[in-house]
Amino acid sequence: RTGFTAIKANIQARDTVRTTSILSFPYSLHRVNSEDTCCIIHHLLKFYVDMVFKHCETEDSWVNRKISSIANSFLSIKKNFRHCHQQSLCRCGEEATQKYKQILTNYSQLNVKNAAMKSLGELDILLDWMEKAY
Amino acid sequence: MHSDKEALLPAPQNISIFSTNMKHFLTWSPVIIPGETVRYSVEFQGEYERYYANESWIPISECSFIIVTQCNVTEDISATVPYNLRVRADVGTQGSEWGTLKRLFNRNTTLLTPPRIKVIADGYHLLVELEDMGPAFQFHILYWKNGQESSVQKMMVKEITSAVHLDTVEAGTDYCVKVQTYVEAINRSSNFSQTQCIRVQDA
Amino acid sequence: PARSAEQYCSLPPPMNIHFESSNMKNVLHWSPPEGVGDGVFYRVKYLVYGENKWIKKSECQNIDRTWCDLSSDTYDHEKQYYASVKAFLEGNCSSWAETERFNPLTDTQIDPPAVTVSSTEKSISIVLTAPEKWKRTPEDKSVPLVHIYSVLQYNVSVLNKKTNKKWWFSIKSNTLIVPRLESNTVYCISVQTHVRIPRLFSGFSEESCIATLKDPNAEHA
Repeated sequence: RTGFTAIKANIQARDTVRTTSILSFPYSLHRVNSEDTCCIIHHLLKFYVDMVFKHCETEDSWVNRKISSIANSFLSIKKNFRHCHQQSLCRCGEEATQKYKQILTNYSQLNVKNAAMKSLGELDILLDWMEKAY
Repeated sequence: MHSDKEALLPAPQNISIFSTNMKHFLTWSPVIIPGETVRYSVEFQGEYERYYANESWIPISECSFIIVTQCNVTEDISATVPYNLRVRADVGTQGSEWGTLKRLFNRNTTLLTPPRIKVIADGYHLLVELEDMGPAFQFHILYWKNGQESSVQKMMVKEITSAVHLDTVEAGTDYCVKVQTYVEAINRSSNFSQTQCIRVQDA
Repeated sequence: PARSAEQYCSLPPPMNIHFESSNMKNVLHWSPPEGVGDGVFYRVKYLVYGENKWIKKSECQNIDRTWCDLSSDTYDHEKQYYASVKAFLEGNCSSWAETERFNPLTDTQIDPPAVTVSSTEKSISIVLTAPEKWKRTPEDKSVPLVHIYSVLQYNVSVLNKKTNKKWWFSIKSNTLIVPRLESNTVYCISVQTHVRIPRLFSGFSEESCIATLKDPNAEHA
């Protein structure tokens, strides 16, 4: 959270499309059923590590260092989550699968650089929800 | 064919990390070139960069073209994954090869030292003063009546303030306290501090 | 007549546009455009991030003040918002000036709790009333911030005015009794609300001072 708070304004200023959201369209993560939480977090960790961070390089080396800090923290959390997934503690119901597909659809509506920067700028949405869920 | 200077400019050696209480310092041996000022630059690479970003390296601007042989990398080693670090020497426009750590560094190997504490009895109240070790640190406090080690009381303190109130205690009795730190990010604790005992005033 | 909003505007835009938020009472503030005199008036609009329309704030159209209360429009603290202000002067206008993205959950300043203190001869008891989320009307149901932030605690300082020693307590409940104190002594209490996730601190409450009662035995000794 600390890493993101430090660059939140910088990253969100780069996202000029105010009228769409990757994580919150059509409905907020806060409306996800609690039993789907683990599955969605597992998917989103993978989404950010595999698809988002690599397209977020900026011209500002300090911002890049903070992005690296966030990316490596996600990797660390992702590893911890792998145990849950392997022990099938992470049930993926229909709604979780639909919600994740919607997120990928929202992501594909924009060019990859804009989509990645928008997703990075929405990290507070993800962290707010994850922190409340756990 | 290497120019003479390139041949003379070896990569920095003995690159290692000293990490205590979640503060991480990279150090290396100086490269000696008579009559020249040698400058060093440091870069880091997390596990993310190794496996997902084409093994890219990220420069640490505070440690670019520095003349000292030490760099505080605490800000950048900010996840519990293995990191690699490298150092290059520069003389004018000549740069050496990169020297890198012998082994990857993970902050979960940091040395956690027991906290310094000061136990206070203020009237019938037992307090302990703790040192501020940064937001990553929590404190497990154990206290008990001297001689009654079996009935230990526990307290967890997450944010540092000066004199932490432990309990209201009995007059004319000795109480003992010991404390260990706990770092949630790496799920490790330090050893306990020395036990400190104090006598509470008589009634 | 005033130009239609979207025609060419050469007035400098309002400056320093930002939300000032306290317990999720979210008020938009800005400074007048640089170098313009009196007579400026403003129009305000806002947008829920991710939704595709800007909404005019009806109570803040053609106003001459430099703030606008958007608390009811930004009441859902699980969403994020933008707000924007345009300036008008003598038929001229400015471009829209926009805030950063506003997240009520992390960008609000929380208050310290209300503190009630009472004392006996040898103890003081402290009762804390948690700060509440802003309410549209007094009749609205109260939402204590402790229901919004899952990890909320209080840092309580107790100062012995005779010895000038200060003790600290970290508590999650809203009552604290400190027994076995000195009688006939003044103690001053100050409390801070501390949200651990996301990390938010209130300021400290004003000192509440109270004296423990006199010890009757001491008087007859």
